[in-house]
Amino acid sequence: MDNKLYTIGVDVGSSNIKIVLLNYSENPVIIDKDSEKIRKRNPEMVANSLIDQLLAKHNLTIKDIAYIASTGEGEMLSRKRGHFYSMTTHARGGIYYSPGSKTVVDLGALYVRAIKVDDFGKVIDYKMTGQCASGSGQFIENISRYLGLAIEEVGETSLKSTKPELPSGICAVLAETDVINMVSRGISTPDIIKGIHLSIANKVVKLLTSVRAESPVTLTGGMAMNIGMVQAINELAELGKLNLTITANPDAVYAGALGAAIWGGFRHIKLTSKK
Amino acid sequence: MEALNEIIKKCNELAFDLNFTRAKEWKKQDNSRVLVGYMPIYFPREIVHAANGLAVGILGGGDKKQIIKGDAYYQSYVCHMPRGIVELVLDNHLEDFDGFVFPSICDVIRNLSGMFQLFGKGKFVKYLDFPQNFLPEVGGEFYKSELQHILNEIKKINNIEITDESLQKSIELFNKNRKLTEEIYNIRSEFPWRITAADVYSIVRAGFVIPVEEHNEILEEVIKLLKVENGEPLDKIRVIVIGAFCEQPPLSLIKTIELAGCYIIEDDFLLGSRWIKGDMNTTKYSPLDSIVRAYLEQSTFSSSVYDVDNPKELRLLNQLKERKVDGIIFAAPSFCDPALLDHPILQKACDDNNVRYISFLYSENTGQFKVIKEQVGTFSDSIKLWA
Repeated sequence: MDNKLYTIGVDVGSSNIKIVLLNYSENPVIIDKDSEKIRKRNPEMVANSLIDQLLAKHNLTIKDIAYIASTGEGEMLSRKRGHFYSMTTHARGGIYYSPGSKTVVDLGALYVRAIKVDDFGKVIDYKMTGQCASGSGQFIENISRYLGLAIEEVGETSLKSTKPELPSGICAVLAETDVINMVSRGISTPDIIKGIHLSIANKVVKLLTSVRAESPVTLTGGMAMNIGMVQAINELAELGKLNLTITANPDAVYAGALGAAIWGGFRHIKLTSKK
Repeated sequence: MEALNEIIKKCNELAFDLNFTRAKEWKKQDNSRVLVGYMPIYFPREIVHAANGLAVGILGGGDKKQIIKGDAYYQSYVCHMPRGIVELVLDNHLEDFDGFVFPSICDVIRNLSGMFQLFGKGKFVKYLDFPQNFLPEVGGEFYKSELQHILNEIKKINNIEITDESLQKSIELFNKNRKLTEEIYNIRSEFPWRITAADVYSIVRAGFVIPVEEHNEILEEVIKLLKVENGEPLDKIRVIVIGAFCEQPPLSLIKTIELAGCYIIEDDFLLGSRWIKGDMNTTKYSPLDSIVRAYLEQSTFSSSVYDVDNPKELRLLNQLKERKVDGIIFAAPSFCDPALLDHPILQKACDDNNVRYISFLYSENTGQFKVIKEQVGTFSDSIKLWA
């Protein structure tokens, strides 16, 4: 075995599991990453299979890994050594992907969190949405399914909008009814999707305002991969004169798993030095 | 591991059996046996045992009983446990009980004892006032007369007068019970991955509803099994949970705290079973006096005890050091005045000594833990990464 300090971060989301293999040091290096849809299977089984595949691909065994850290809903993973909370991991993953960021926004499937961070990825303050599906990625997944769009097509479709149609935005149930209504009224798919994006972006901008976000802002989580969503947030932030630079790394969906892997390495060294 | 799981399963069934089946079966085996229900926090079960009785802990309906009638007896700003107990008694879960003891904690429990008198359940209802004067000749004498009152009530039922020998034997059994319980906590403090806090809770709680002899056997078996290594340590912080001494947290709340990155090393759940620290000393005093002395001199700290000479905040900080704990979780039942009035004092002591803590409220039937999980999880992260 070489002298590298390998760690693994596993982010168990509501629909996807993301995994990152890391060489931890003061300047951590991502060795590999992967993700898989859960598709009604046991999340632990999916996570274990991802871990095994990654280890085999890099000719490593489980004993070579100094720390397996879970995040998201990964508390139940039996192979983990420790668990970190989504806010902690997204904050760290966010500043890895976008060094110098002062604010990280985790656009997850169930929640949106605006997190103010320091240079080390320490959470200084945060605000998050309540348990309302209409402000989450899961909502977009549901709407895209109704409209017959693959989730990967949603972003591009939204960019084609010329006259966005906003849903009621109060709750997912009402908004979904709105969407059915829009379809029957002949509203185009891009305009419906853009309206949904603006509705969620409105909540994101409110969070950014209430947390007194500082620039630059980096977006993480599954919805950060959606260019239509990123554009909608930027449009509303500009409209609200927030004066923020808001970007998303193409790998932003791995921020949670990456943050877990980094904190795992950090924690491993801390525990080892205690001994 | 399988043997331990079997015991935990059995304890779970016993501990959360709202019909108190085992206790009622025990009573049926002998006409002179009595069942005395007692409410939290502490009651010297030894005296009931010596009088051929079983003191049964009644801890509310938890999350297993829907409250309908109970709500009619209490205002919305009163804690949940007494509603659960009213529901239990009005739904006839407490039939076959001969008497009920309400140890003094707060006004709500005092009122509950009055309600039981109105319900006419059992042959006696006793509000047990604990002394707040700790001089043996003052508080001690008063406490002794309170205990004697209960013994007189039991004697009216089964005509059994306790002797020094019978009380001595009972004290020895409960001394053993406390020692074994403490040993489990000590093992857990050293090897918290071997058994979860929720499982320890079920094992200890089973002792509230079965004869002490049976519980001692269970505890001995558990200790034997816990001495064998099982599982592996996880990277979690070590915490004390405090505030849950009366209304019990739902089992899922205990599980949630541990899932969210904590090992609960010390707690005040089921505090009555660990109230007396160390053995009751029967060599120096008569058995009844030794029970009294133990209360005056060996009681743990709690919100229901006036402790101006032995402040609870210092005792909490000592506990923190002894158990090598990273932080404190103040978890109090909603509307629990004793716990909530203590929090500012205890939290100030934490602030003054750079002890990290969080606090939240629950009720015995809380069913949503998402917010608590998030709060405890970030607390755990902050200690793991930044402490």
